[in-house]
Amino acid sequence: MTHPVAELLPFYANGTLDAADRARVEDELATCPSCAAELREIEALGAALHERAAAAPPPPAHILDDALARISATPLASASARLRSAWWGTPARYATAAALVLGLSAAGLAAWHVREADVAAPGRVSGDTQAVTVYRATEPPLQQKIMVQHVTKNRDLAQPAVPPETVAKQHRLARKARLALLVRDVEVALRDARGVVGAAGGDVTALNDATPQTPNTAHGATLDVEVPAAKLDPTLDRLAQLGAVQNKAIDAEDLDASIVDEEARLRNLRREETDLRALMDRGGRVTDILTVQQNLSDVRGQIEQLDAQHQSDLNRVATSTISLALTEDRPNAAPAKPGPTARIDGAWHAGVAALVDTITTLLAAIAWSVAYAPVPLGIAGVAYTAIRLLGKRRATAP
Amino acid sequence: MTDGEDRTLLAEIAQRDRVAFETFFAAHGAAVHRFVRDLVHDGGLAEELTSDVMVQVWRSAAKFAGRSRVRTWLFGIAHHKAIDALRRRRVPTVPLDAMLSIASDAEGPDDAALRAEDRDRLAAALASLSPEHRAVLELTFVEGFSQKEIADIVGAPAATVKTRAFYAKARLRDVLAAAEQTR
Repeated sequence: MTHPVAELLPFYANGTLDAADRARVEDELATCPSCAAELREIEALGAALHERAAAAPPPPAHILDDALARISATPLASASARLRSAWWGTPARYATAAALVLGLSAAGLAAWHVREADVAAPGRVSGDTQAVTVYRATEPPLQQKIMVQHVTKNRDLAQPAVPPETVAKQHRLARKARLALLVRDVEVALRDARGVVGAAGGDVTALNDATPQTPNTAHGATLDVEVPAAKLDPTLDRLAQLGAVQNKAIDAEDLDASIVDEEARLRNLRREETDLRALMDRGGRVTDILTVQQNLSDVRGQIEQLDAQHQSDLNRVATSTISLALTEDRPNAAPAKPGPTARIDGAWHAGVAALVDTITTLLAAIAWSVAYAPVPLGIAGVAYTAIRLLGKRRATAP
Repeated sequence: MTDGEDRTLLAEIAQRDRVAFETFFAAHGAAVHRFVRDLVHDGGLAEELTSDVMVQVWRSAAKFAGRSRVRTWLFGIAHHKAIDALRRRRVPTVPLDAMLSIASDAEGPDDAALRAEDRDRLAAALASLSPEHRAVLELTFVEGFSQKEIADIVGAPAATVKTRAFYAKARLRDVLAAAEQTR
């Protein structure tokens, strides 16, 4: 190519050059016959291409139908965009937004108080107490993968997105309690404990009763039970009456966030499954059907997995577990035969305990003496004064 | 349809307006379909891709930044989808000889048939070009985009587009001349 300007000719021909470039090309065309010939050629080709394009048949109507069906099938993928546009679209909707903001603020404030109360409540163990009003925009992960036609063509697209779920956060606690009791008779206590649990509608899930082999070993047993969540506190109270409480603890895990999340995901997956089933019923090309079938089985698998998790979480909230440890109250009996290390350890602890005991007693005695010091001092003072007076009287006596 | 009208439509599509979406398809669907069909040379695939492009328009309408004309943005999507499909499916470029023999099967002595024959020959010649050359010719001569706009659409420097347009045209001319000789 001899003229750099010749490269601009296609864009001169289609009329998209700016004024400066157009002037350059026109100058060149005026003086260069080969450029002018080139332009004629380009114009002829351009016209042919244009004519060919104009003669092309219109696109089949089913392309639009297909696109419409597919955009109907993406309900949540662009939920946030839809929310934005739906809310800011018309002034009337400002009110909705304002009301929502106010509502959220109020809920937040209320939640704050709830949280304060929670923290203040004694004995209440709460896992997480984060923000209490939860916005959940769940994206269906599979939606992107499915590139097949969708049936729900008549679903109203213009309707605003599903409003965000405003969930006033509740505590859904999976509670676990541990209770250690010192009892007079382990067998009796075990029987009573099972009675208490049975009366509360609970079940024993594990029992470990170690009957002592030697007379000097204390009898111990552990019992794991499950009781309805609402019955946990009364059951614990009744169990505590069976002996002397050595240790009592309650752990709680807040499963609310995961349960809400599971429910939202399940809803989406079930909706997707319904749509896919409708697609299957409609039939079509074999490859499409196979794709739908594959997606359907993927979705089903996910639903089952999620459902199992969901049920398990719900069950953990609905029932609380108690681990009960019972030990026979025999001060002289060794709980088990200690090994050499344990014995040295025991001796050390006994020594330290004895030392601490002695020092405590000594300190107590000193404190006691200091506290009572005024009495003997007073007596001593009175006695001293009396003796002095008596002595003086004898000395002055004739 | 002016760019202003396109922008209005796109704003309505961003608000999930289905009627606006159908209007947009009526205005640009044919051009997009023609463009991707010429790029991929596969009717069925071109229909799928056109549908893909429209779905992408629906999804991304709210994200249109307004830095270019709507048509430039739209053809950018179409070009991307078509080139992507070509890479994935490795649609072969039809050998020139095969296309020329098909093209010379045109029938009838009347005017319309002759024009149809010319069009077939042109189609065959286009088919023998690389997708990049086909794209730049279509975008320049059929869709009337500027050098800068084509650079945006195909994602290449403006200078490359200029050279590519020049060589694409030269190649097309040579192929057509060769076909003329074999007649």
